[in-house]
Amino acid sequence: MNTLAWWLIRAQFRTRRVATSLSMLAIALGVALGYAIHLINAAALADFSRAMNSVQGEPDAVIVGRDSAGSVPLTVVEAIARDPAVQSVVPVIDTRVRLAGAPAPLRLIGLDVFSAATMMPKLMPRQDATATDAPIFAGGVFASPAVLRQLNAAIGDTVTLQRGDRQWTTRLAGDLPALGPDERLLVADIAWVQAHFGPDDAVGEARVRLTPDTDPAAWRDELARRLPPGLLLRAADDENARVSNLSLAYRVNLNVLALVALLTGAFLVFATQLTAVAQRSTQFALLGVLGLSPRRRLLQVLLEGLAIGVPGALLGLALGYALALAFTRLLGGDLGGGFFSTGTTTLVPAPLPALGFLALGALASLAGAVYPAYLNRRQALAHALHAGFAQTPRARPARPLVPALRLLALALLAGGLSRLPAWSGLPLAGYAAIAVLLVIGIAAAPWLTRWIFGLCAGLPLPATQRIALQNVAQAPLMAQVAAGGLIVSFALTASMVIMVGSFRVAVDRWLDDVLPAPLYLRSKATPLPEDLLAALARPDTPFARVEGMAHATLTLDPRRPNVTLIVRELDRLDPAARLPFTGPLSVPPDETLPVVWISEPLREIYGIAPGQTLRLPLLGGSVEVFVGGVWRDYSRQFGAVTIGADDYRRLGGRFQANDLALWPRPGQNAAAETWLAPYARRDGLEVAETAEIRQLSLAIFDKSFAVTYALEAAAMLIGLFGLAVTLAAGVWLRARELATLGALGFNRRMLGRAVTLEGALIAIIGLLIGLACGVAIGAVLTHVVNPQAFHWRMPLHIPWPTVLGAAALTLAAAIAASHAAARQATRLPLAQVLAGSQ
Amino acid sequence: MRRRDFLATPLLLPTLLAAEESVAYPPVTPGRRLRFPRDHGAHPDFRTEWWYVTGALDAPQADIGFQLTFFRRRTGFAETLRSPLAARQILFAHAALTLPGDRLRHTERVARANLGASFSSTDCDVAIGAWRLWREMRGPREILRLRMQSASFSYDFTLTPSQPPMLQGDDGYSRKGAAPELASYYVSWPRLRVDGLLLRDGRRQAVAGQAWFDHEWSTAILGDRAVGWDWLGINLTDGGALMVFRLRDAQGATLYAHAAWRDATGRRRRFDSAEIRFTPLRRWASPRSGASYPLELEIHLADLTVRTRPVIDDQELVTSRPAPVVYWEGLVKLSGGLEGRGYLELTGYADTLRL
Amino acid sequence: MLNVTGLAKRHANAGRPLFSGLELTVAAGETVALVGESGVGKSTLLNCIAGLETADAGSIRIGPRAVDIVGLDETARAALRARQIGFVFQAFHILPTLTVAQNIAVPLLLRGVPLKAQPARIDALLDAVGLRGFAGRWPTTLSGGELQRVAIARALVHRPSLILADEPTGNLDPRTADEVLTRLLDNVRQQQAGALIVTHSQQVARRCHRILTLTPDGLR
Repeated sequence: MNTLAWWLIRAQFRTRRVATSLSMLAIALGVALGYAIHLINAAALADFSRAMNSVQGEPDAVIVGRDSAGSVPLTVVEAIARDPAVQSVVPVIDTRVRLAGAPAPLRLIGLDVFSAATMMPKLMPRQDATATDAPIFAGGVFASPAVLRQLNAAIGDTVTLQRGDRQWTTRLAGDLPALGPDERLLVADIAWVQAHFGPDDAVGEARVRLTPDTDPAAWRDELARRLPPGLLLRAADDENARVSNLSLAYRVNLNVLALVALLTGAFLVFATQLTAVAQRSTQFALLGVLGLSPRRRLLQVLLEGLAIGVPGALLGLALGYALALAFTRLLGGDLGGGFFSTGTTTLVPAPLPALGFLALGALASLAGAVYPAYLNRRQALAHALHAGFAQTPRARPARPLVPALRLLALALLAGGLSRLPAWSGLPLAGYAAIAVLLVIGIAAAPWLTRWIFGLCAGLPLPATQRIALQNVAQAPLMAQVAAGGLIVSFALTASMVIMVGSFRVAVDRWLDDVLPAPLYLRSKATPLPEDLLAALARPDTPFARVEGMAHATLTLDPRRPNVTLIVRELDRLDPAARLPFTGPLSVPPDETLPVVWISEPLREIYGIAPGQTLRLPLLGGSVEVFVGGVWRDYSRQFGAVTIGADDYRRLGGRFQANDLALWPRPGQNAAAETWLAPYARRDGLEVAETAEIRQLSLAIFDKSFAVTYALEAAAMLIGLFGLAVTLAAGVWLRARELATLGALGFNRRMLGRAVTLEGALIAIIGLLIGLACGVAIGAVLTHVVNPQAFHWRMPLHIPWPTVLGAAALTLAAAIAASHAAARQATRLPLAQVLAGSQ
Repeated sequence: MRRRDFLATPLLLPTLLAAEESVAYPPVTPGRRLRFPRDHGAHPDFRTEWWYVTGALDAPQADIGFQLTFFRRRTGFAETLRSPLAARQILFAHAALTLPGDRLRHTERVARANLGASFSSTDCDVAIGAWRLWREMRGPREILRLRMQSASFSYDFTLTPSQPPMLQGDDGYSRKGAAPELASYYVSWPRLRVDGLLLRDGRRQAVAGQAWFDHEWSTAILGDRAVGWDWLGINLTDGGALMVFRLRDAQGATLYAHAAWRDATGRRRRFDSAEIRFTPLRRWASPRSGASYPLELEIHLADLTVRTRPVIDDQELVTSRPAPVVYWEGLVKLSGGLEGRGYLELTGYADTLRL
Repeated sequence: MLNVTGLAKRHANAGRPLFSGLELTVAAGETVALVGESGVGKSTLLNCIAGLETADAGSIRIGPRAVDIVGLDETARAALRARQIGFVFQAFHILPTLTVAQNIAVPLLLRGVPLKAQPARIDALLDAVGLRGFAGRWPTTLSGGELQRVAIARALVHRPSLILADEPTGNLDPRTADEVLTRLLDNVRQQQAGALIVTHSQQVARRCHRILTLTPDGLR
């Protein structure tokens, strides 16, 4: 029996090379995309946590300031150290310093080697024995191999570390041999870092390892109650959750795209297998007569589906690996999302996920083969043996009201789903709404077909057109299959185009708002040098106006990524001059109350409304602030809070600008850049014109949607293949009828034209419905999925030229595909068909 | 380049890094009068200091040995650094438990002062994290408290003195070699009654036994030729106490030796180098380090002859932090002219004290 | 080999009785021709015997164990066909994607005969129908007569007890038809199977042992 199955599969592959290999490719594409996304993300996460681990170890708890400017007082460290449940406390000062010769600021970690040895062995310094015998706590810094390479420095060299107005000149005392080739950091004794860069009488954070018999959760709960409000107790799990949260929404969206590819693959298998069943109905009937059991007739079709799916999925795994490799080389480990910056990523394919994706591909092909298999099983043997494939006739609903009501109910369902909130941070209801919209589109196809062609039937038409119209109207299953593929692929493509287009337009406008100055100066995460600020304050500079901005981070929820704190020189009474607000501004009831303006994602994630007061973990304490408004932000997905520099100083904060917005005096643009150049060169500062930043931002935007564009093209192609395959199948199915027409005097050209016209009609209907669905899905993506996944909103903007152009292109391709199918029809051996031997 | 240790071991501290140090450590001189409780506290100016408690328990089981030691080390570095975290003072602690029929269990901690470790300069109170050794008054009596915990064993003991402290050498000035600067201030407190709780393998048990407390601080102990020492501190069955030590050279010959015997009535007798002779009776070779320790020693103290016999042979300590050191320190029984129980320490057998 | 008793069947759509009370026996080695006008139900009778259509009443016992195909479910009927019945059709129905030998092997595969045990039997059958050397040929390269001889080999290869033939020579010219019929009848006799041959051809009918005529009133 297996031999027979194998013979049939082999025959199928031999005789239908194009269709089977296309189906196989489609499955491969879906698997490849899903697998590539998985591989890249797993590698990026592994890299990220590896980097985290070498710097952080695996503590049971981390005590840290909620405000990135905050610190953990030594008294707190001492008190925790004395707790019998604590095995060790590892205090760390983690800061950024500038180093002459290094283009970017470097991370400097102040370590206590005694406590860190077990928790963070990778940070253990190695000393140059020939240069000195002084241990690390006698001073000196230790550099990772990457930094040594970059600085082109030798152990024993003197280096000067700078942070803001403080500096430390010391010796390069050794290296950090356990760090990887991409890890760029400096290590020094914690006391020396503290003495030179602070914080006074405190450390940056304390990592705690508990004794083995302590319940970490209970201990953390107990301690959290006693900690001062400015301090945060974090569990190691929180860190993982944060890391995973970082790219979750982005990842899910990409995976949905992969799923779309897989679904189209399943659809193509469906079309292929349906055709295969139709074409071979006589053969299957013969086998049935000869004694092939009904179950085996069912299994045979499923098996053939698997024979497409399994090699397809295997190919997909290989393709996925190659894709992942290419993407990590080209875009880095974050798929262009910009979340991780860990340098080169190593892909580690594990067997279990690979098996999972293999199964997914096989499942998709199996799902595609189920209905054809069922049809094959149901064929009446005696009839099929003589007359070939018979579509199971469907009972036509007497009144068109029933399907209309059904569609209305589905539309209501989709509307309801799009109003549901996110489920554990994911817009699952939104995705469900999209699925329902697609179902509506497919279900509407036969109904719309009958309606439109019913209208056309009244028109006086030549025979060819009339026959084409009749065929489309009378063969609902094949028309639905052919149109369904187009509807799904075009709807998804159009919706993506609409969503990305809306987003791009919104980002473009937003960039205008957030970049008011012509020139920007940026120091990466370290305070700008004091002498530059002093020089800028002098009256003889070529600048009419200079505004400073400082970035820090706040932890509002330990399981979520940090929120950006932006301290900015702006007018408390007119923040709208600098921030693109989404709604009206609220005025604080009290002059002394500090005002903050929150970004849209912050409002969405934490449910904060403008006009309310809020306690923010600022400057080591908990500070009550007033929420003055919500501004649009497309760059910080996890939320941002802006506070005026004056308010910040009033709260006791020290405002040290990282970034400057500069307005050169009229006509002095060139002079301004010349003026800045020496500082930029000396301290590795970035000077950028607004146009450059805009261009760069949009380039990054386009890069991050590169995958999306590629997928859209793939979906369209698959849809077209589906159309061609199903049209060809339709020709085979109606071979007898076409042959009769031929016998009645239709010449081959007329037959061909009828079939082509038929394909064009189906394509037009599919595209119309697909366009309608695409706009609806685009709206769901823009208004539901985006706010829920990324927490930002944007107006819907339909790029009609692109969408209609794509539709026209698809129609042209569909007509070409129909033409190819029509040529098949004209090649039918009419006499043989009529004689009944196929 | 080769991997350097950040510090030498506590036992080897005195000779570490002598060349680089510009800091002036005070010398140990005779004639200084020790005052208590001040001199139970730390003397941070001196290079090294330790507080050493060893003891034997009879409950919950006979011949359990325990030990808790805090070492303080003034590194000589970062002396002028303006940071409370500057690693000027580093503390190490070792804790061990000897269970008859079992092997020695051992654990250790290390931290710098103000960052996990602390000490008092006015009274005995030294701690690393939750490990702590301190003196306090319980009513009219002074007691020592001892607390440590680890994954394999923990204890919380109260040590109640039955006799006054014993100032070693000349009123606490204890010479360690022929040169006068080779010396330490050395206070012993034998015959401390132990009670409290011992936690091991998840079982919490009340204990009873007797302990010995040593407190010693100095700047230079080991002379150039010394490779290690043998030390013995025994609570005698008759109510007396015996302390013997000698410093050895590479050939195993005695460089300097000293012994002090205080009997139950408080009468003291001292033995100098010439009166003391060590004769190994039985050696035990450690399967781990390969070192051969003379666990059964015959010690002649003028007319007295005593012999040591370990409760179990394997009481070798292999410490890893801050650097690997291997030595033997364990509970022994003393027989012969004097009988009792206490601790024997044998250093410099695995590694000659190479630096 | 075939024993039909009291068989009744109504028209699928009209409900009018097509035939009823049919009695029919085909013995081992016997060839029976079934003739009758178009639309009288010859094909339906054949389908009922093959278990492709279900009779309304009566029994159809097939093979040496006289299994009644009327009482069986679809799977069991397929199994009974695979073991006991060989088919020859007017349109040949040779699978175009399999070679001649593979086509002949299909019934053996359906009976579960391992591939290794087949070549001798297939060669014997190819010899018997005069197609020695055709084993590896593709059906598209064969003439109608050759195709029908492949079909005869396929019908006999698994030693069925009953051969059902539906106009086996309907698509062949008279000379080829005669040769093919000879092969069929010879082999049926040789294998001691029974054969029921539906035909319009008097020539074919005459060469059978018996001729039965199906009329609206029954078999004569």
